[in-house]
Amino acid sequence: MDRAALIDKLRDICGEGGVFHTPSDLMVYEYDGGVDGAVETGRPVAVTLPTTTEQVAAIVKLAHAAGIPVTARGAGTGLSGGAITEEGGIIVALTRMDRIVEVDREDRTALVEPGVINLELSEATGPQGMFFAPDPSSQKACTIGGNVAENSGGPHCLKYGVTTNHILGLEVVLPDGRVVWTGGRASGAPGYDLTGALVGSEGMLGIVTKALVKLTPNPEAILVQLAAFPDIDSASQATSKIIAAGIIPAALEMMDNLCIQAVEPQYHAGYPMDAGAVLLVETDGSAEEVRAVGEEIAAICRECGATEVRIATEQGERDRLWKGRKMVLAAMGRLSPNYYLHDTVVPRSQLPATVARVAEISADSGLPIANVFHAGDGNLHPLMLFDRRKPGDTERMLEAGKEIIKFCVSVGGALSGEHGIGTEKRDYMTLVYTAEDLAAMAGLKNAFDPGGRFNPGKLFPKGYVCGEVRALRAQAIAQKHGIYAW
Amino acid sequence: MTPVPGSPDPAKMLAEAPFVEVSVDGLVPGGMIEPESAAEAAAVLAEGARHRFACAPIGGGTKLALGNPPERLDVALSTRRLGGIIDYVPTDLVLSVGGGTKIGDVRAVLAEHGQGLPIDAPDDATIGGLIATALAGPRRLGYGTLRDLLIGITVAHPGRITHAGGMVVKNVSGFDLPRVYHGSLGTLGVVVSANFKVLPLPRHETTLLVACDGLTEALAAARRVRGSRLRPTALEVTNSGGAWGMAVRLEGRPDTLEAAAEEIQRLDEGDVWTLEGGESAAWWRDYFAAQDLRLGQDEALLRASVRLRDSAELAEGALAALPGLGFNLPLVAVSPALGTLVVKVRTEAADPATALARGLDLLGALADYASVLSAPVAWKRGFDVWGKTPDTLDLMRSLKHEFDPARVLNPGRFVGFI
Ligand SMILES: Cc1cc2nc3c(=O)[nH]c(=O)nc-3n(C[C@H](O)[C@H](O)[C@H](O)COP(=O)(O)OP(=O)(O)OC[C@H]3O[C@@H](n4cnc5c(N)ncnc54)[C@H](O)[C@@H]3O)c2cc1C
Ligand SMILES: Cc1cc2nc3c(=O)[nH]c(=O)nc-3n(C[C@H](O)[C@H](O)[C@H](O)COP(=O)(O)OP(=O)(O)OC[C@H]3O[C@@H](n4cnc5c(N)ncnc54)[C@H](O)[C@@H]3O)c2cc1C
Repeated sequence: MDRAALIDKLRDICGEGGVFHTPSDLMVYEYDGGVDGAVETGRPVAVTLPTTTEQVAAIVKLAHAAGIPVTARGAGTGLSGGAITEEGGIIVALTRMDRIVEVDREDRTALVEPGVINLELSEATGPQGMFFAPDPSSQKACTIGGNVAENSGGPHCLKYGVTTNHILGLEVVLPDGRVVWTGGRASGAPGYDLTGALVGSEGMLGIVTKALVKLTPNPEAILVQLAAFPDIDSASQATSKIIAAGIIPAALEMMDNLCIQAVEPQYHAGYPMDAGAVLLVETDGSAEEVRAVGEEIAAICRECGATEVRIATEQGERDRLWKGRKMVLAAMGRLSPNYYLHDTVVPRSQLPATVARVAEISADSGLPIANVFHAGDGNLHPLMLFDRRKPGDTERMLEAGKEIIKFCVSVGGALSGEHGIGTEKRDYMTLVYTAEDLAAMAGLKNAFDPGGRFNPGKLFPKGYVCGEVRALRAQAIAQKHGIYAW
Repeated sequence: MTPVPGSPDPAKMLAEAPFVEVSVDGLVPGGMIEPESAAEAAAVLAEGARHRFACAPIGGGTKLALGNPPERLDVALSTRRLGGIIDYVPTDLVLSVGGGTKIGDVRAVLAEHGQGLPIDAPDDATIGGLIATALAGPRRLGYGTLRDLLIGITVAHPGRITHAGGMVVKNVSGFDLPRVYHGSLGTLGVVVSANFKVLPLPRHETTLLVACDGLTEALAAARRVRGSRLRPTALEVTNSGGAWGMAVRLEGRPDTLEAAAEEIQRLDEGDVWTLEGGESAAWWRDYFAAQDLRLGQDEALLRASVRLRDSAELAEGALAALPGLGFNLPLVAVSPALGTLVVKVRTEAADPATALARGLDLLGALADYASVLSAPVAWKRGFDVWGKTPDTLDLMRSLKHEFDPARVLNPGRFVGFI
């Protein structure tokens, strides 16, 4: 099928306005939130904007017949290159499927289309006393479909869990164009947990066309505390002690001095400029509980050397304290022409050592690196400042990123806590996984997508072809063990 | 796979496997193997694939009744020697344990540091068995299931060993395979070890037992609690000796619990008994033990689930209709905040298999999902104990084929006789 015929057929499915194909229209779809250089870019042959599940299925079937790969896309805020297609692929952008189909107050669930924006869901259900707990910092823009595909997290995941803990069922279009439901409103769906397999699968197993999500009751009371510390070590120690005391706060975030320096003058969140680190601790629950837990947390922080502990209960004051945290990226954007937000995880007790290593890497590379992290779960976001126009800066940034990953893995950490692998970290997969481990992932991919049609080139090391690898592994194992068939 | 120096020859292990008295739904394996390592387990399974042996992983042996009767069974693979704590970092709240470790032993170690795995299970259940069966009890309301706590896993498949996840609490590095193994009934591989996020033990617990006039009243009481500002960690409608009641478990700080308990008393006029601390925990252990899958010869245990708002209809419908099939109902447990019903049925019918199949159909019509958790093997004939076949069965078959193409592991036991 030639290009013009393909576009015509896609128009038949999605309507005149539902297909983009001119170079200028396609250009924005060559990127996502990831940093050029860290992720691979590619120009799609066409971008489709379906409005129904049937249209998605028809696009997938057409692509299948034409032998063209398909990449799903939400808001494109992903940071690992997941929503970018290989050269010449078809993008299925789900942003026009943005209806909240149903909110069930008694069941505490919502049935939504994938293009619904994360924050808009919580805003819609708030008046009914409920919210969607996963709250990525990008929640004003990112979609539920993207959250599902990346198994996204956010500050409040410490207490409430990440996206996978809040998805009850999914309607998906499979690579052959069939539409199925996994999971559902009742617990205990028989068989393998396909919903669990789909969440975090980076658009490689199925395209989500509806999600049945769990809603969480609004807490009765919320308390936010800001504790300023002389250095990262003392703030980390306080983090560990809070957890050791049996307290799981709703959120426990840390920022280092570089972040404070960037944020405070612009946003006036009230962070002491000379603090080595600040902790932002949110507690929620009943009014009595929040008060008592808040006092314990304040005592622990002081004991660990906090120079100041501030408490906010009123919404306005709470928002102000949070503002500094939420605006870190924006503030950094003003300090430097370019930045690269990294995402790795280490065991919580390794945070001080990791931050020390990051400081070394920063000194070696000559690039300033700020640290903002979800301290409660050991998820760090080193923020590297660089200038793309300066020769060598991009390379040094990538090199520094690699060193950080290597260190995190060496202390028992993981490649990514929330942003996913995509093309950004695919070549690091062998740092944490054996060939067998990858073959198991390839097995899951094969069960859903034997033709490798959905979002090829992601997650597996470059050049890794799931079907081939599976065949080679099977052959090797069969030879070694004399297994009759594999 | 990684060969272990000096590890015994799997063919020899199989040939010399001692005979033991275990029976899996009436089938007795030719012998029992107790691998000491992941590599040994993988090698034994590879032998199974080569010779078309069928193998049943066995942990504590407390839930072997779950599933369809095995299609074949040649060897039992005990995880007894895959036990023990591998790594435990209390300050990081993470734990790595062997698949054969008993949950009771895990609890004891964690308790020394004021931590725990908040799931209901008998002490002799193993970690591997818990992951394989994915059965969750009443505390799922407050804490979710093991699915939510599982952060990493090592699995032995025929001829290979794989790992997924890790030892950190937040991780999106690749596909989320731990979720896939959870609840796969040992059909994809043998759980050699698993890593968990553990939680601080609650400082205190209180249980309120509220007497109600009947099922309808008990369901209404539970609905009031669910609609209140309280966040119980378990909320059950119970029947003991014909008397209906509601049980509410509260866990947290002593001062908050006191206020919460008072609030429940205000919500209800009925008689209320309050159990504190150890007494409360013991009550729930007994409550849960009554749902054990090890049953008498004339009994079966069924489970059905619906969306929460339909819990009352399900419970009332089942109670009205099951006796019509000749069943007595010695146990009825409703979790109105989870949408589940567990019933024990007893019958002296001449053809219990047909009666059970009809009972399952009946529950299937009332519920979204219904399954037989346990029944005498003679009753489990001619139908799938997992109830209606999901329309994703072909995907599930492909998944099975990727991990265990020769169908060595628990063949025939899982959904759709996978
Ligand atoms: C400023 C900023 C802050 C961020 N903060 C966080 C944070 O705190 N926590 C966090 O976890 N992430 C964060 N992110 C990353 C990103 O926002 C999340 O990964 C988000 O979930 C992506 O949603 P999206 O709609 O933009 O998806 P996209 O970027 O469009 O797509 C992401 C992936 O999902 C797939 N996908 C999208 N829709 C579907 C669908 N319907 N079916 C199947 N696959 C689909 C795509 O193929 C792609 O692989 C941040 C990003 C930015 C730019
Ligand atoms: C209604 C109900 C609710 C329950 N709720 C809970 C609950 O909330 N929490 C809870 O913890 N328990 C609960 N249980 C019980 C729990 O499921 C079992 O105690 C436990 O799973 C059995 O462990 P086991 O070691 O005895 O397994 P076994 O009885 O030995 O094996 C059970 C199955 O798992 C497979 N298996 C065993 N070990 C492995 C392994 N290492 N790898 C792969 N497959 C393996 C076996 O092949 C077999 O099919 C509940 C039971 C019922 C009936």
